[in-house]
Amino acid sequence: MPVGGSPPSAPASSADGPAPVRSTWLSSEDWWSVWLGLAIFVLSMGVILGVDLLGWAAKSHVWLAPLAAVRPVSAGYASTPVLVSIAGTYVFLLAVALIGAIYLQFSLRRFVAGFTVIFWASYACWVLGHYAYVAATPDKLQAFGISWSLNLTGEAGFVLALLAGLAVGNFHPRLAGRLAEATRPEWYIKTAVVIMGGALGAKAASATGLAGVVLFNGLCAIVAAYLIFWSLVYYIARRYFGFTREWAVPLAAGVSICGVSAAIATGAAVRARPSVPIMVSSLVVIFAVVELLLLPFLAQILLYHEPMVAGAWMGLAVKTDGAAVASGAIVDSLVRAKALAVQGIEYKEGWMLVAATTTKMFIDVFIGVWALVLAVIWCTRIDRRPGERVGAGVVWERFPKFVLGYAVTFFVLLGICLVWPDLSAGAALSSDEATSFRVLLFAMTFFTIGLVSNFKKLREEGIWRLAAVYLVSLFGFIIWIGLLISWVFFHGIKPPIVGG
Amino acid sequence: MAEQPKLAEELSRMEEEPLLDIEKALVAGCLILGVVLLVALGWLSSWVRPGT
Repeated sequence: MPVGGSPPSAPASSADGPAPVRSTWLSSEDWWSVWLGLAIFVLSMGVILGVDLLGWAAKSHVWLAPLAAVRPVSAGYASTPVLVSIAGTYVFLLAVALIGAIYLQFSLRRFVAGFTVIFWASYACWVLGHYAYVAATPDKLQAFGISWSLNLTGEAGFVLALLAGLAVGNFHPRLAGRLAEATRPEWYIKTAVVIMGGALGAKAASATGLAGVVLFNGLCAIVAAYLIFWSLVYYIARRYFGFTREWAVPLAAGVSICGVSAAIATGAAVRARPSVPIMVSSLVVIFAVVELLLLPFLAQILLYHEPMVAGAWMGLAVKTDGAAVASGAIVDSLVRAKALAVQGIEYKEGWMLVAATTTKMFIDVFIGVWALVLAVIWCTRIDRRPGERVGAGVVWERFPKFVLGYAVTFFVLLGICLVWPDLSAGAALSSDEATSFRVLLFAMTFFTIGLVSNFKKLREEGIWRLAAVYLVSLFGFIIWIGLLISWVFFHGIKPPIVGG
Repeated sequence: MAEQPKLAEELSRMEEEPLLDIEKALVAGCLILGVVLLVALGWLSSWVRPGT
């Protein structure tokens, strides 16, 4: 299932007819995000068994002196030269991605060239984002000998990557075109989410009760949000903006549920022409960027005293997986920094990201169900094609396979930590090593989201009608109802406190 | 996307398609069910929340 906001992997739009659905084990990006994520996860687990296979990976730190910006992630590789560590990280990620690229039949020459540019641009942004005057939190200022910083934490690197991508995508479209073969934000973010499952599993082992509550409430929140958001946007698009059903279904799904994937899945369910959800998708990507730049900072102002509400809000309000998970990462840093500065509370890292990711993934899972419901209604009551049957197979076809990878890594590391508590330290280092690659995939997601977000599309005749529905719905009620629903299900739930 | 200019034109000159009863029922049903679930699940979640 295409998720995350990049129209390039959407079905071809050259001819009218139902959107094709590809879901085979070796020929879909979705499955390959599972394989690649699992490969990195399995290699990172070597350290648990005493074989440190990925300890050489480059990890960024907040820095004043450039030489202190990057070090190998594992103390066992402390003597490894930094340049070797960085180069090894690039070669390893490229090699892993190339395996997928071969099976996915990308143009390998163009993929390698594009991947190389995207990797180094994203990496530079990621390291720059760790500059102490940008990233240092108040408790670290003294250690760096500085009197101020923007207090944005290292995740500022993601915002820089996004801005860099936007600059290239909008002002250097020819360069962006040359990078197109490797411009795959969905693939990068889904692979990162599979890897992230392990880290969250290790985290959840220390607070199983909280993890269960987040899962339960995340599920509850999206069930309510799905029904309310979709129906309101569909009605507004049909009644007040005069859209036909073919346009209103993917538009309502794209604006209200989960961006690109929902627009394409529901568009196919009602047999919209493939180009319709794709046009909707291009708008979804643009607005997701706007949300990504605004909402985490708004959450920091409004919700630093309710961190889990802030995380869940990102999952519910920000469209596309890439932007939603990325917003969760930013909000996690911003809210923790503000809570520390204002309340003196140091929350453990990652729990707001867990809330954002959980809600977003349940949303993804339900896209299949919703596509099935719409397909049944359209077949039996609206289009009335005699004899046509809609099977439960539609649910599996639309099911986001990377969620399976996430579940595997989450439960494997959770299980290891719970069954063999002695291995928890190794599991923590294992997830640290995997996280070194995960954050780079995040940064590449941000950069490539910027690349595919062509704001010039807004100038095209007619698209403002779509944009108007989007603006009215998103900023008129989706964001605020999303906030209300997040508050209903997550208020009063606090992440664990460092040292608590 | 060669078809896009045509779609843009289509967007600006879209003919009205009246809301069917089934669409109205779908919208109303979803909205009512969503609000009911929000209240019911919100109440249920307050029971599984830590410290409550």
